[in-house]
Amino acid sequence: MTTFVGRLRAAGVLGMNRRNAVYTLHWNPRRFYPRVDDKLETKRLLREAGIPTAPVLAVARLHSEVRRMLRELDSYSSFVIKPAHGAMGNGILVVFERDGDWFRRPGGRWIDRRALFYHSASIISGAYALGGQPDVAFAEERLEVHPELVAITTEGVPDVRVIVYRGVPVMSMTRLPTQRSRGRANLHQGAVGAGIELDTGRTNHAVLDGKPVPVHPDTQEGVVGRPIPEFARALEIAVRATDETQLGYVGADVVIDAHHGPLILELNARPGLAIQVANRMGLVPRLEAVDERVRPGMAWPDRIALGCEIARLAREGELA
Amino acid sequence: MNRAAAVTGSVLVALGLSIFAWKTLVLQLPVLPSNVENLWRVELEIEARGTGQRGSVRAALPSPDPEQEVFDERQTSDRLVFTIRTERGQRTGVWSGRFDGVHSISQGFRVQLSETPPALPTELSQRPPKEIAEAYTKSTSRFPSDAPEIRELVSSVAPPAPNDPLGQMRTLLGYVTDEILTVATGSDDALLTLSSGEGSPLGKSRLLVSLLRAAGFPARIAAGLRLRAEKDARETVWAEGWLGGRWLPLSPTLGFFGARPPDLLLLKFGSDTLIDETGLEAISSRYRVLRESLDAKEVASFMVPSNPLLAAVSLYRLPVGSQAALRILLILPLGALIISIFRNLVGLRTFGTFMPLLIALALRELPLSLGLSLVGSVITLGIVSRLFLDRLQLLLVPRLGVLLCVVVLAITAQSLFGRSYEVKDLFASVLFPVVILTMLIERFSITSAEEGLGAAVRRLGSSTLIAMCIYPAFRFEALDHLMFGFPELVISIMGLLVAIGGYTGYRLAELWRFRSFTRPSDEAGL
Repeated sequence: MTTFVGRLRAAGVLGMNRRNAVYTLHWNPRRFYPRVDDKLETKRLLREAGIPTAPVLAVARLHSEVRRMLRELDSYSSFVIKPAHGAMGNGILVVFERDGDWFRRPGGRWIDRRALFYHSASIISGAYALGGQPDVAFAEERLEVHPELVAITTEGVPDVRVIVYRGVPVMSMTRLPTQRSRGRANLHQGAVGAGIELDTGRTNHAVLDGKPVPVHPDTQEGVVGRPIPEFARALEIAVRATDETQLGYVGADVVIDAHHGPLILELNARPGLAIQVANRMGLVPRLEAVDERVRPGMAWPDRIALGCEIARLAREGELA
Repeated sequence: MNRAAAVTGSVLVALGLSIFAWKTLVLQLPVLPSNVENLWRVELEIEARGTGQRGSVRAALPSPDPEQEVFDERQTSDRLVFTIRTERGQRTGVWSGRFDGVHSISQGFRVQLSETPPALPTELSQRPPKEIAEAYTKSTSRFPSDAPEIRELVSSVAPPAPNDPLGQMRTLLGYVTDEILTVATGSDDALLTLSSGEGSPLGKSRLLVSLLRAAGFPARIAAGLRLRAEKDARETVWAEGWLGGRWLPLSPTLGFFGARPPDLLLLKFGSDTLIDETGLEAISSRYRVLRESLDAKEVASFMVPSNPLLAAVSLYRLPVGSQAALRILLILPLGALIISIFRNLVGLRTFGTFMPLLIALALRELPLSLGLSLVGSVITLGIVSRLFLDRLQLLLVPRLGVLLCVVVLAITAQSLFGRSYEVKDLFASVLFPVVILTMLIERFSITSAEEGLGAAVRRLGSSTLIAMCIYPAFRFEALDHLMFGFPELVISIMGLLVAIGGYTGYRLAELWRFRSFTRPSDEAGL
């Protein structure tokens, strides 16, 4: 067992205890959490800074507003209903297409207006919020998969997760939904995670259920060595969005939309650790390299350049 | 490892342990319970209400005899004057004064009941002393030994046997035990008991006393307590007959002769009233009982330690009720420690942080398998009802309310079921964590909808596993004694928690989660 621990340590794998004690607890002051835990607040913050986010179609803050929200959605054939305080993608309901009062969800299941109403009301009651406090339901435009990613996606929309530490991007991956994950981009629900090299913008390794996979399980298309479209822009908005939150350790989720280009989907103050498995690289050496090299007042382009440089060194085995 | 946490943690652990060491090594307090048999702490609590008039409350006090050793008597008198009167060997505690409003008074003592019954007397021809013969042989309205049916019965069932008075006594005892039915609501009167063939324990005992007196033995009624762990004591009566120089206890309901059973405490003889009052508006009383795990000398060392500072903070000086609650309370930090170990060192996920602790707390008085199957059936029922509730599409809070009702009904049904299977007091002393179970069901359903049934079952499994690991802590008597006698150990537990809180290494589960990094073949790729 000690050799296992030794190997993990040698690979620089970041564990949950250390992430909490050293990184999130220290770099993410509790008072800034509402900026990322409330998705509507995040959107407001980013809109003011001119950073693109997924457009909001309608909002329901009270049970009495659900009916109006659904009415406002009548002019859209597809949309996504979300809780403002949801975590890990819980409580998200995607509508692909509609036929009058019937709505099709990913996987081909049809639901009626009443079910939509019930789901929105549950969100407002706090069924999906951390701690169960009253929440806000809102509807977002349904984003569309970028043409270059269609071949390695089924059901949902892939996203790009970027870990930004002290304003420097340190690691990235894309999460590709599968039939088994029912369109959701969560690795533990069966989505494919593919590590992205920050400097080249290409995927270099991919895992499904923690095991390496060369191809997408549904389409059988290769997922390693693919360029991510508009990745430089994705890195830019991830870093600038993180700057707005004043948090020091953030997971920024970016969607490369077919029409709008990269958009911030949400920001996460407690980003998971699976990104290391998808990259087959530990976070610790990169985080320590950032601590060593980042200077206060560095402009964001310099910080992105630094992050890319650190990632390249890490890949070539030149970080201690 | 976080250095500040490590230092703070070590300081706290050392602080707790050094107080512990001082108490055990310097003051020589016992670390382990010595598991003495039949040592009890008994406390009588009385609430008396008066309207400003003078009055008194009298309570029977135990006297030492070959079968019981009484010590450590204490009482609270709440504005009244307490005195002890002794009349014909019977000790009575008297609180007297002006009763104005409610007075809470108490009287407590420790008693060591003998395990070895005294031998039956051999000098059977010994004459009873004059004062005993005078007081306990007459026919009275309660003990109508002169009544013709009593006399007739004695001469037909147990004719005088000068050579075998013990046998005669035994025959009379056997008659009342076997021929008269014990009915809790039966008559208290000796003659009515005899004529109807059934009586209350008091009625049967009075009948036996009357028969003994008719047969020429001095006899009297005796009253006391049956002591049971963690329950209120039950008051009970029996008879005593004088033979061969001493009083022999004999009971037509509990079935003993010559010696009291080892859980029976004698409080009063010659009368069946333990508590009596004058000049009061209302009175209520109850006896609380706690089994001691230390012998008398050890208890004394905790109660009156040689160090005055320690004497002031000894938990052994608290009333019995508070002691019982504190014994449970002081185990909780251990439970928190176990949870932290599982969550931060092992890396198991649970529903709710302290949920396993509360489940273990609720089940502490039941056998583990029974407790788990009870909780399991409540949860299963809840999850099934939750599936149906989902179809109704109810709002969150009413839906949780309905689940709460299901849980309450399930527990109610189980109490009935439990009673019919003689698992008495199934939930009696347990304020079952109804709310916790409701939230558990809701979280289970949401987790299984969001992350799959497998994830929900795994999390439920790890919650159960942790609850099972905490459960023995509540049952282990040595631990109970350790934490109660040495509450400073909580400081050490705090230290351990601080140290775990500062641990930044890998969790055991992460070795599996990041197993792709630990394969030697992969190292080349890194």
